[in-house]
Amino acid sequence: MTGEEIIEKVKSSLGEGIQAAGVVLGDAVIHVAPESLPGTAKFLREDPDLCFDYLSQITGVDYLEQDREPRFEVVYELHSMDHNHTIRIRVGLPEDGPSVPTVSDIWKGALYPEMELFDMFGFDIPGHPNLKRLIMPDDWEGHPLRKDYPLMTEDVAFSFNKDYKSELVKTKPETR
Amino acid sequence: MDTTQQGLLEREKDTMTLNMGPQHPSTHGVFRVILEMDGEIIVSAEPDIGYLHTGIEKNAEHKRYSHIIPMTDRLDYLNPPGNNLAFCLTVEKLMDIEIPPRADYLRVIMVELSRIGSHLLWLATHALDIGAMTVFLYCWREREKILDLNEIVSGVRMMTSYIRIGGVALDSTPEWIKGIHEFIDEFPSKVDEYEKLLTHNPIWLDRTQGIAIISREDAINYSMSGPVLRASGVDFDFRKKRPYTRYEDFKFDVPVKTNGDIYDRYLVRIEEMRQSREIVKQAVNNLPDGPWKVEDNKVSLPPRDTLHTSMEALIHHFKLVSEGVSVPAGETYVPTEGARGEMGFYIVSDGSNIPLRMKLRAPSFMVIPGMCMMMEGLFIADAVALIGSVDIVMGEVDR
Repeated sequence: MTGEEIIEKVKSSLGEGIQAAGVVLGDAVIHVAPESLPGTAKFLREDPDLCFDYLSQITGVDYLEQDREPRFEVVYELHSMDHNHTIRIRVGLPEDGPSVPTVSDIWKGALYPEMELFDMFGFDIPGHPNLKRLIMPDDWEGHPLRKDYPLMTEDVAFSFNKDYKSELVKTKPETR
Repeated sequence: MDTTQQGLLEREKDTMTLNMGPQHPSTHGVFRVILEMDGEIIVSAEPDIGYLHTGIEKNAEHKRYSHIIPMTDRLDYLNPPGNNLAFCLTVEKLMDIEIPPRADYLRVIMVELSRIGSHLLWLATHALDIGAMTVFLYCWREREKILDLNEIVSGVRMMTSYIRIGGVALDSTPEWIKGIHEFIDEFPSKVDEYEKLLTHNPIWLDRTQGIAIISREDAINYSMSGPVLRASGVDFDFRKKRPYTRYEDFKFDVPVKTNGDIYDRYLVRIEEMRQSREIVKQAVNNLPDGPWKVEDNKVSLPPRDTLHTSMEALIHHFKLVSEGVSVPAGETYVPTEGARGEMGFYIVSDGSNIPLRMKLRAPSFMVIPGMCMMMEGLFIADAVALIGSVDIVMGEVDR
């Protein structure tokens, strides 16, 4: 199916669950709210015409400097092995308590990227079987891929300052 | 109760915990896995990654597009041109640039040679893990020739950064073309040599056939890609299904096997080496003439000699070096077929010369949960063979 056909099909089947939809640079893109994500994902996975059986990747994006509402976004890239077509789901998350339900019960491949979202962006993933820090150490403070996390600081704990914690304050990075 | 009794009681908890890595030679980098063992059999495997985390994604949000290319070399450090290509294709898609045919062909040659080199290193270390030392030395010999070819064309043996936004860094040289012809002429006999050592070797068959099987459905559901997916019976290759860089010009087969065990992954990669050699052969023989990068000087540097005579060239040169390319606002994702599977960058641009977000879809990262699922129920010696067969590179896992 082409991008337009996918959008048409998804729109007619899911209706108001879709906030916006369109074809961007050749890829079908839909925007959904976090609470309607599991239903949308299940439909995309199980509908015989769409059959998005392969989760390509999950990405988090922080739009702090764009002054955009909502601040965060989670992007799911899906692919169908049988039909060879793709779709991108964009889910906006608010600044306070960003939380997006897991899709790891639909695609097992989501297990690690969702742990990465928790680790790097601090999103809560309700329903995830094993949510913990993945790449950073377990006792790490802050979420490195947020825009307010500075690039060039590191807490070095020596015996004289082992209790010292720097404040990861919300400022725009100075060097751009 | 004295301590002896206590020890006996604890031992009744049948399983024991075994720590493998992060400096274990068969984990191919700094990968740690905590194994719950029942005798020799693995009950559960808990991976622990992040030892090689270098913050490349965070760093990329503070660097100009052209400065990111050398960093992408260090992601999947066994297949650097593949990473360069995936990154450049994404940026070029956002900028809507048409790449000249010669540049595309040079890119294909570079990427396919690098795929052969990556598979050679995989075969070398995989065979060494299982105990076949000779193959290791033979594969190293051929990989050395590919690195020499890299050096001729780009000046660097491994981290080539040869593929740039808008084309390639330098034009090919006659010496390089001659070297490639020599390589592709002798390479099939070398692959036959490896196959003679392994394909019908009873020890190799015992260690690989029917071990660590993953079904077609599981492989897709666990987001596996590349040779692992194709060994499980999924005929899927981005070079065929969604051609990029003029792959539609080349005739090649995508090897697919159906058992999904370690042996089939081995067969798929061996055949891929032969097919990559076919692609390189066609690309070298049909290399088009013409420019090897786009002639738009807002994207690629003007020729050096024009700087002394042309004011415009000087301005463009200054702007490109001091400011870099600006990418129109938007976001996109371009999947490519890397040596290990689906390799792609998701780039969000805000219209400036620095990406707002760069995310790498790394095949090795996505394969780890499925790999640990496969480990359950295996002997520990087979787990070593399994880690070798999925071919992980920790550089792109931890990023």
